[in-house]
Amino acid sequence: MTELNLFPLFLSLKVAGASTILAMFIGIPIAYYLSRSNGKLVDIIDTLFTLPIVLPPTVLGYYLLILLGRQSAIGKFLEGYFDFTIVFTPFGAVIAALIVSIPFLIKSARTAFASINPNIIQAARVLGRSEIDIFFTILFPMAWRGIVSGLTLAFARALGDFGATLMVAGSIPNKTMTMPIAIYDALLAGNRDLANMLVLIMTMVSILVIYVINRLEKKIVKGGI
Amino acid sequence: MLNVSIHKKLDHFILDTHFEIKQGITGIIGPSGCGKSLTLQSIAGLQKPSSGKVVLNNHSLFDSGNSINIKTRHRRIGYVFQNYALFPHLTVKQNIAYGLKGMKKEVIEQKVAEMIETVRLAGYEHHFPSQLSGGQQQRVALARTLVTEPELLLLDEPFSALDYHVKDILEQELLAIIRKSYSGIVLLVTHNLEEAYRLCDHIILMDKGKVIQYGSKNEILCKPANVRAAQIIGCKNIFPIDGLYQEEHLISVQIGKIRLYTHPSERLDAQFMGIHAERIRLLEAEHFDTHLLNVFDFTILEMLDGINHLNMKVQIANSDIVINVHVMKETWRILSHKKLKIQLPAGHICLLM
Repeated sequence: MTELNLFPLFLSLKVAGASTILAMFIGIPIAYYLSRSNGKLVDIIDTLFTLPIVLPPTVLGYYLLILLGRQSAIGKFLEGYFDFTIVFTPFGAVIAALIVSIPFLIKSARTAFASINPNIIQAARVLGRSEIDIFFTILFPMAWRGIVSGLTLAFARALGDFGATLMVAGSIPNKTMTMPIAIYDALLAGNRDLANMLVLIMTMVSILVIYVINRLEKKIVKGGI
Repeated sequence: MLNVSIHKKLDHFILDTHFEIKQGITGIIGPSGCGKSLTLQSIAGLQKPSSGKVVLNNHSLFDSGNSINIKTRHRRIGYVFQNYALFPHLTVKQNIAYGLKGMKKEVIEQKVAEMIETVRLAGYEHHFPSQLSGGQQQRVALARTLVTEPELLLLDEPFSALDYHVKDILEQELLAIIRKSYSGIVLLVTHNLEEAYRLCDHIILMDKGKVIQYGSKNEILCKPANVRAAQIIGCKNIFPIDGLYQEEHLISVQIGKIRLYTHPSERLDAQFMGIHAERIRLLEAEHFDTHLLNVFDFTILEMLDGINHLNMKVQIANSDIVINVHVMKETWRILSHKKLKIQLPAGHICLLM
């Protein structure tokens, strides 16, 4: 048996990790905004960020290709000024994973923010604290449980993405081939042994990751609330 | 001194409050939905009035004419919320220290320690709010506010979240703490007249977004301005006046078939008269002073058994006037087997607009 190439596994973990970190910085402010206002804009943003849950990943991938591909305005700009391409690179995989996974974080964090009694926020204002200050001392800690479970879901979804990643990043071995794609690839090539092995590894890693995150979540949440 | 004159238009409600408070504890009373809480929130800057002014100790906090709207966090106002709104993820000590940000660490430590002593929460510094009783939570909320030394203290229904049996004790405690360690103005919102009377020096009566009367608590209780004010303070007997006559030292009013006498008053154009059910006296028919005014024979129509009082509906003889009378049970035990008359004491009859 040839030596097992674990590159797809590490790539998958890296891509999911990076997209989750990005999701945290982008998703939490959006979730906070959605929980505090209720204008028309909120409905539009909400719909936009729910769409990735509903649409097939291939459709999302297709949109991303059009939006970020080398022929698109953004693609041309990045290539012309920074010599940087998104599509068919690991960075493309991160973007794809981000788009499919961020709705889970936003939903979960938004619910957590919205469930905080508004009087508690008012009390903090009356006590002389600024809005930013209140966010970090009251809102963020109180919504932490929801945020952590949102991050867990987002990471799991990013780790398992197939369609969007394949469309945007392709399946270049040792460059953009993530675990789910490698499994499909092995199956297509008729290599059942490799496919079995990869599926087993993927399952075990997933179980391990979720277990660790759950433990971590319990530990963090224990602190308060 | 607090000067409030605010107008705020909502979908189905217009708030239009004007009052001026000098010192001490003032209560805002009114039925639910009368705009009491909205008034407090507007003073604290948690709601923005459509127009008007809020001036605290010569500082303009809000002035629509001059486009002044000081941010809540700069208003130096203390606010105790109905359910206390403690920070659930912070300990008692952290809750109390929350408003002291920016001060030196030692100063904060000292102020918090003193305040914990004042509100008798020593030993609970590291407890979370969920581990405290309702009364303790209330003291944390008060301490958290008082430690910032606000110029104005706003209390929104401070006792509504507490069990009936602890209310009295906690009222006294709260009052003692405030009187001892706070010298600014206190504005308290409640829908409970008893509570307001016990805690406050002055009372503002509100109804449907408007102030209908403002005065010392005794004035509010004894001389309600109009029918609505009388209803809000719990006056059970209100009747339209059919005729009002000035006599030598008294005023007499005609109510249906009976004539009642009351003390001189400037309200000569009164349309109604009212008397509290508790103020009506029962007299032994056999020996009562015939000089007494407003004495009538009566028949009892209904009787409701309360804890300390009997609530009766009685009809005055030879008339169709039905009056609510509250009698102490003790009094009733002595009088019940005797022949009785009722008296509506002249001093307790108020003329209403």
